Amino acid sequence: MEPKIKEYDVIVIGGGITGAGTARDCSMRGLKTLLVERLDFSYGATGRNHGLLHSGARYAVTDKESATECIQENMILRKIARHCVEETDGFFITLPEDDLAYQRTFVDACHAAGIRADIIDPEEAKRLEPSVNPTLTGAVRIPDASIDPFRLTMANIYDAQLHGAETLTYHEVTDIIINQNRVEGVRCLDHITGQTKEFRAKVTINAAGIWGALIAQKAGVTVNMFPARGALLIFGHRVNHMVINRCRKPANADILVPDDTVCVIGTTSDRVPMDTVDDMRVTPEEVEVLLREGEKLAPALASTRILRAYAGVRPLVAADNDPSGRSISRGIVCLDHETRDGLAGFITITGGKMMTYRLMAEDATNMACGKLGVDKKSETASTPLPGSEPDAPKPAKKTVAFKAAEGRHGTLTTAFSLTTDIVDDALVCECEHVSVGEVNFAINNLNVHNLVNLRRRTRVGMGTCQGELCAARAAGVMCRQHEDAANVKTDLAAFINERWKGAQPVAWGDNMAEAQLTATIYEGLCGLNQYARKEEVQ
Amino acid sequence: MKFDTVIMGGGLSGLTCGIALAKAGQRVALVSAGQSSLHFASGSFDLMGYDAQGAPVSNPPEAIKALPEQHPYKKVGDIAALAEQAQQLLLEAGIGTTGTATANHNRLTPLGAFKPTWLTTEGYVTIDGDKLPWTKVALMNIIGYLDFPTKFIADGLRNAGADVEIKPITLPELNEARKSPTEMRATNIAKVLGNQEVVTRLAAEINAKAGDAQVVLLPAVLGIKDDKLAQLLKQQITKPLHFVATIPPSVPGTRMQALLRKRFEALGGMFLNGDKVVAGTIAGDKLHNVTTEKLEGTKLVADNFVMATGSFMSRGLVSDYKKVYEPILGVDVDYIAERPQWTQNDVFDAQPYMEFGVRTDNQLRVAKDGTTLANVYAVGQILSGNNKLKLCNGEGLDMLTALAVANTIKK
Amino acid sequence: MENEMQLLNISEYNFEQCLKCSICTVYCPVSGVNPLYPGPKQAGPDGERYRLKDPKFFNEQLKMCLNCKRCEVACPSGVNVGDIIQKARMKYASHKPKLRDQMLANTDLVGSMATIVAPVANFFTSLGVSKEILHSVMKIDKHRTFPAYASQKFETWFKRNAQSKQDKYAKHVSFFHGCYVNYNFPQLGKDLVKIMNACGYGVHLLENEKCCGTALIANGLYDQARSQGESNMSSMRSAISKGRTIVTTSSTCTFTMRDEYHHLLDVDNHDVRDHITLATRFLWQLIDEGKLKLAFRPDFKMRVAYHTACHMERMGWVVYSTQLLRMIPGLELTMLESMCCGISGTYGFKAENYETSQKIGAPLFAAIDALKPDCVSTDCETCKWQIEMSTSVKVLNPISIIADALDVEKTIELNKNH
Repeated sequence: MEPKIKEYDVIVIGGGITGAGTARDCSMRGLKTLLVERLDFSYGATGRNHGLLHSGARYAVTDKESATECIQENMILRKIARHCVEETDGFFITLPEDDLAYQRTFVDACHAAGIRADIIDPEEAKRLEPSVNPTLTGAVRIPDASIDPFRLTMANIYDAQLHGAETLTYHEVTDIIINQNRVEGVRCLDHITGQTKEFRAKVTINAAGIWGALIAQKAGVTVNMFPARGALLIFGHRVNHMVINRCRKPANADILVPDDTVCVIGTTSDRVPMDTVDDMRVTPEEVEVLLREGEKLAPALASTRILRAYAGVRPLVAADNDPSGRSISRGIVCLDHETRDGLAGFITITGGKMMTYRLMAEDATNMACGKLGVDKKSETASTPLPGSEPDAPKPAKKTVAFKAAEGRHGTLTTAFSLTTDIVDDALVCECEHVSVGEVNFAINNLNVHNLVNLRRRTRVGMGTCQGELCAARAAGVMCRQHEDAANVKTDLAAFINERWKGAQPVAWGDNMAEAQLTATIYEGLCGLNQYARKEEVQ
Repeated sequence: MKFDTVIMGGGLSGLTCGIALAKAGQRVALVSAGQSSLHFASGSFDLMGYDAQGAPVSNPPEAIKALPEQHPYKKVGDIAALAEQAQQLLLEAGIGTTGTATANHNRLTPLGAFKPTWLTTEGYVTIDGDKLPWTKVALMNIIGYLDFPTKFIADGLRNAGADVEIKPITLPELNEARKSPTEMRATNIAKVLGNQEVVTRLAAEINAKAGDAQVVLLPAVLGIKDDKLAQLLKQQITKPLHFVATIPPSVPGTRMQALLRKRFEALGGMFLNGDKVVAGTIAGDKLHNVTTEKLEGTKLVADNFVMATGSFMSRGLVSDYKKVYEPILGVDVDYIAERPQWTQNDVFDAQPYMEFGVRTDNQLRVAKDGTTLANVYAVGQILSGNNKLKLCNGEGLDMLTALAVANTIKK
Repeated sequence: MENEMQLLNISEYNFEQCLKCSICTVYCPVSGVNPLYPGPKQAGPDGERYRLKDPKFFNEQLKMCLNCKRCEVACPSGVNVGDIIQKARMKYASHKPKLRDQMLANTDLVGSMATIVAPVANFFTSLGVSKEILHSVMKIDKHRTFPAYASQKFETWFKRNAQSKQDKYAKHVSFFHGCYVNYNFPQLGKDLVKIMNACGYGVHLLENEKCCGTALIANGLYDQARSQGESNMSSMRSAISKGRTIVTTSSTCTFTMRDEYHHLLDVDNHDVRDHITLATRFLWQLIDEGKLKLAFRPDFKMRVAYHTACHMERMGWVVYSTQLLRMIPGLELTMLESMCCGISGTYGFKAENYETSQKIGAPLFAAIDALKPDCVSTDCETCKWQIEMSTSVKVLNPISIIADALDVEKTIELNKNH
């Protein structure tokens, strides 16, 4: 049966932060917008980084333009995405084996880029951040902060939806529809129903991150991407309350970021072939590098439980042959394929980084508006995202779970926390304090198709036990809204496997004990393996 | 302190061994470091549910013959006889079960799957083959109790031929308990339902909601100490009532733990609760005594010692970045040296680490630095060469190895 | 690996060894009866992670923890759940202790005042009117019977009647009698002196005994607890230097001084800890080593039910008291299932906790009433108050039972040559 073809002004390909931001900007400017995402929102590099709100200091010495962009966007995000940001500040520390002279170069470069950078006494640094390596010889305080990429992406998506945009996850672009050198839309495979669908638009924006190279290929144009893989480790609780960086040329595992209840060390950097960008399993070698280097930032990491390991692929545009991928410009690349390749109605937005997603979105939307003849300025820099409105009423609940939820959803928390039914207050996930009400809110409002989606929206299963008991409870709550219990059981099996994927590289010590207990409950007691399928859920 | 036998580990294997020895007149001390994995129990005892290829087993003693020679089951002797002894031991402890070693039946899991098993606590749902004996089932759950996913269970029951209606139930006491966002768990519900008067009102609630069902199924949230209240509830319900296992903590498991300990103590055994063995004195090829964390200077001297401290999750085995070891005596452990080979990518594939454990001889005696210790035995999950998840044999392995060792020691 | 970095992936942060198995919640006496208490897993390891993120996640309901430590006994992973909860209270609680709490906590101060006017104090605390006042003004529950204050403190009795005879013995111990023996039940102290003397040990008071501080900790008076702890350690060091073991008759005082001083108060007790012991353990170990023999009266007959006090369970020393009791030929011992009686020191005295306290103890009271023993024996004085108030059965410390059953002359005779 031929499905009905729908018409849009703009189709955005990719549900990472760039795509989400672009969909928001387009819809806010009155464009009829569709976003299609192959898997889930923030599945790719967006959900696989440090969660660092860069001050730009890291790039100040090597790439002033990026650094300047960073600090400007940093200040904007603190306002518009208040509930996704934690204003921690950060240090660039010099260790005995580092050259202290670099500190001067670094501070000068920061100042030149407009980044606050104050040299402070190492003793004062230790007082402000007791976890820092006590042998440090220098410290510079800069306006780094922590930001939750899952929340940031969802807030953009949610706002796009409020402005009339449609968003479809698990819709993979199989073909770019081209008619006489003009892109007229996309053909998608709906992974949930198995249907093929066609969507038409005057402008199609390729915002697919590293996969953007493949999208470009489908359109018959070439965008050379440089896949640089980075692995990171999550520790069980917050060791540090401020971001800690090494004050030297960027290298392996030199940033430690406090993110929500955990802290994250990373990254490694390795050039990988394009055909491995979907293989996100972390290797033992990467784990070893991260551990060895991470301990130098905060010695307490040596005795803190590691929860899991994960990896992402930086979507950089190849510029030279640097094998490390670090000297590449992180500048924004916004390609008009009409002028570049003679292909009308097609834009690629790439390069850049999570920090500059809003600017990237603005550039791409400006270009789309130009093509559509729409004359409206972007307002994304001044309009708070849903959850970050400054004047929303403060609910009175004082429970730990409410405070935790407020950290995740900001002012939106009122939408589910003011219920009078105490059944909704029961916790599904005890480690992360996620209630039935929050799970239901996510299922009803935040495009949740499976438990992995639910985890990205709420932190269910992201705590110490990685889903040992809460996954079954969450599946039970999901099941109330799905008639097909067998499918939810298969989803639960996939979720347990997805959690194992990150736990396996660090499965020794307490983690091995935890893994065995989880397996004993789900396979031994429950027989969940009977519902497992071989493919991975994403 | 002098004993005939000192047992390390107070779970199913340690208590089974302790009860068997105490019953034979031995002076036994059992050192139990924290509560055991019985708290994750289903209410059933698995002997061997699947063979090495993953096919369901109907006659475990027959299927066990095909296991490799180094499997612990191959060291215990007559499986069927020991299985009978185990069932009798449970009965004497107040744990009545149905089932027999030579013919598995199926148990219903908290997710609505069926798994082959050997014994099931009386009153829990069992099924022979793949069809339920009822066509109309009332599946009840307490409002706000999250550890009993009724839709999953209903799905399993429907696949087994039943028409299922899900019925929420509650009582004022349960409404009160629900004020806790975290403590509405099976064992706390069992405490709330812990007296006759409440159970009588629960029965009235169930009767009112049962409709035209032939049978009522209830989560296993009754009887944390014994099954008296469950019996009382059954008497007051107009239809047959069966319990279904929940997500842990397990009420039947907590009850079994209490009943087995009580039985052991009634036989004169000394149960050192919340203590753990920290070191031992080995002289020649024998362990002479052990020291515990709490008793400090007081050494426990014995003729024989049994290690029943479990696997990784019970801390009987410990792994680190480089190796796997047994933390009390440092006895020899079977494991793969290269850490990346400890695990498989798919969590539901056979994980090599599941088979890691202490090395034993044909009498289940452990070795240290290659020398067998003549009076130190290992029982239960600490043993190497078994994957309890794939063979579905956790409780059977615990009890049968424990009884085999008790028999050896008694000789 | 370099520096043995993460060799274990076993965290030095004790709370991270929690596998989230939830077994602690099964054995928490509070979470089953009071839904407002978050339970040991949430209050302990789960909450700790959040409190480390931001102290605003501290929950004042942690004060509902009894500090019974049964979560720690139950934990298969060695997590000191109770300590985590108490430390969080110490670190984050914003509420200042009320006058009532200060009064309950200062067991020795209130005790000394009360002893001076014991008959009057006893009269008023038992009188209905003053109970109403205590209930409404002080929020001390009116159902509670305050333990009676003795007319003569143990210390006074000891100095007048026993002290001068102690030096004649060849071996010596110091006795940490605690507030209960001193103010409420000097007889237990007299019983201990009787046994020790019969065994050939002289008994001595510490230079300057202060309340162990357990009630101060429970009521949030940490600084005072710490300073009393330091003072006790100093007195004990002096006794230890004379070669004396410090014996006690209270499981809670013993536990507090051996473990809580170090774990909660940061009082350095490493050189003292091993010298503090329960009298029953002291005696049993001597007997086990063949250094002591006890003789008992042939006409002694008693049916005793032993109740395991929470801190006795935590110390793992039940075996010493019960093995000792089992040596008495005419004594028939039944072990009551180990569970909290609900009083937890001063906890059950507070009006807001009364109901919870009695609900916790109900299964224990039912078991005792069903068994109808001649007496219940326990090593904890506050369990004694609770059980005597809630059942019809008398409660005795094992030391008092042994003193009663002991054949003093024969025991002296047996130990002459040691």
